[in-house]
Amino acid sequence: MSATLDDQYYSSLLELQQLDFALVELTLYLDTHPTDMQALQQFNQLAQQRQQSAQSFELRYGPLLQFGHSYSKFPWQWAQSPWPWQV
Amino acid sequence: MSNQLREYVPFRGPHDPCPPIGVKTYVVPPNQFITFQPMNLPQFPLPEALRAGTLWPALFSPYESKWRKEASR
Repeated sequence: MSATLDDQYYSSLLELQQLDFALVELTLYLDTHPTDMQALQQFNQLAQQRQQSAQSFELRYGPLLQFGHSYSKFPWQWAQSPWPWQV
Repeated sequence: MSNQLREYVPFRGPHDPCPPIGVKTYVVPPNQFITFQPMNLPQFPLPEALRAGTLWPALFSPYESKWRKEASR
């Protein structure tokens, strides 16, 4: 069985990618600017937003991470397609 | 944004059977001129940041192919 990949799948995946990229940038920035309160607030806000996006994505399309970092519905979803390279 | 593309003319020997390209170009990205990034720089909106490869327009360095001019996205 495979999940159907609708437009929503790709748009939420893109949103996750955008959030992740901004978080990487802010992480590197905060490494050298640990006292920038505004950037820190932005980082925490984006981190929260990412958590929510990832949660709603996983509810709909299955786990993003393995080894207990994501939940799975019944039956076990991890081994189901699409695989990352099939997307 | 100032032009990031620089040029130089490599030496061309008169008997070189395979002479180098006449004018060579290289890119000097803006981070070379920012010793310590100032706080509160303006930011790209997130979708644009992913495309640009940086969150801050001040650090943006475009890449444009000289060989294929079409569709620079």
